[in-house]
Amino acid sequence: MAAAAAWQLSQKYRVLIVSLDPAHNLGDIFGVTLRNRKSRFTDTLHLKEINLHKLSKQYLQRQINVLSSTYRYLQTLNLDNYFSVLKYSPGIEEYALLTSIEETIRTEGKFDYIIFDTPPTGLTLRFLALPRVTITWVDRLIQIRRRILEKRYTIYRIRGELSKKETVLSYDEGDDDVLKRLRTLKKNYQALNTILQGENCSVVLVFNPDILSLKESQRLIEGLEDLEFPLRLLIDNKVTEENKETAEHVERDIRNMKNVPLERVSLSRALLDDKGGKLYDIPEDIISRL
Amino acid sequence: MGFSILSFLRGVFSGFHASQRENAVALTIVETEELENIFALLLLGSFVGLPSPPTFLAVELLPFMEKELKILNRRARDAGDMLAEMCGVMGIE
Repeated sequence: MAAAAAWQLSQKYRVLIVSLDPAHNLGDIFGVTLRNRKSRFTDTLHLKEINLHKLSKQYLQRQINVLSSTYRYLQTLNLDNYFSVLKYSPGIEEYALLTSIEETIRTEGKFDYIIFDTPPTGLTLRFLALPRVTITWVDRLIQIRRRILEKRYTIYRIRGELSKKETVLSYDEGDDDVLKRLRTLKKNYQALNTILQGENCSVVLVFNPDILSLKESQRLIEGLEDLEFPLRLLIDNKVTEENKETAEHVERDIRNMKNVPLERVSLSRALLDDKGGKLYDIPEDIISRL
Repeated sequence: MGFSILSFLRGVFSGFHASQRENAVALTIVETEELENIFALLLLGSFVGLPSPPTFLAVELLPFMEKELKILNRRARDAGDMLAEMCGVMGIE
């Protein structure tokens, strides 16, 4: 669906489509091999598949480098082993995903549209919630850190420097690396959240005309509302003559929850019957509904 | 002779001054260390089953948290005898 929309948009605009789903099939749809970097398909359409495993590994490697440059003596320890375990800890993949979205939005300014094809509900909601969860935690940690620095400053003022050999811990907010890092993180996440909740971002919910898909979509709509992300279009995908009744029921229930424009995309019988033609019948003006 | 008495007295008074300053900040130091301990515990809480921030936050800050980690380790080691610890802080013999 995302690939079809990207193709159609690319007839008039410059489009980048990024697949975030670990079960990639963007390359298969366009019949090309994509290797975790942006590939040009036509002059106006570029494709990219995100390799989560590689991203997590790159991110951890960057952290190992910071760690090693901060504490030279730690190089004697086998840090690689520790980080290879960390790779499987919860949150790293979501973080890698979010970082790649942030990076794409920041660096790919020359495109008119960037389409992110997201993985299923659970993972998508988890990584979309990450900026907000992180900001809450960062705020709390900043608060504690500032209290620590205030106390350190008091201690420094009373004690002074007892001897030249003594290490004076940072007590100034401008000198503390932890606080500086926390503030940078907060700034980045606030910027990302502003983009994701802003006017220029649209979330499109694609569902199938069946009851399971309805339940999942309802959960997703609730999640998006909690996170204040702008759901602007619903697409009922793969509607046929046989499932038309269920499709109507599902559409009614979803629109009762969230009244946004809805498009119905029929599954073309011609292709299934081996008569050629288009697989999906996507309306020409789909983007004007966003 | 006069010089050595003077330097002796100067040494006594500066030692006295330093000890008074140490006394004055002793409780603040304990309080700061406790806060540093909480900071590290909050960040690395997932290892002991506490609700914790996203893992990557711990990874981001880990390179700058040497002192907090040392305190966290020490607190974990001394946690078996918190009464003695508190008595030590209050100066109860």
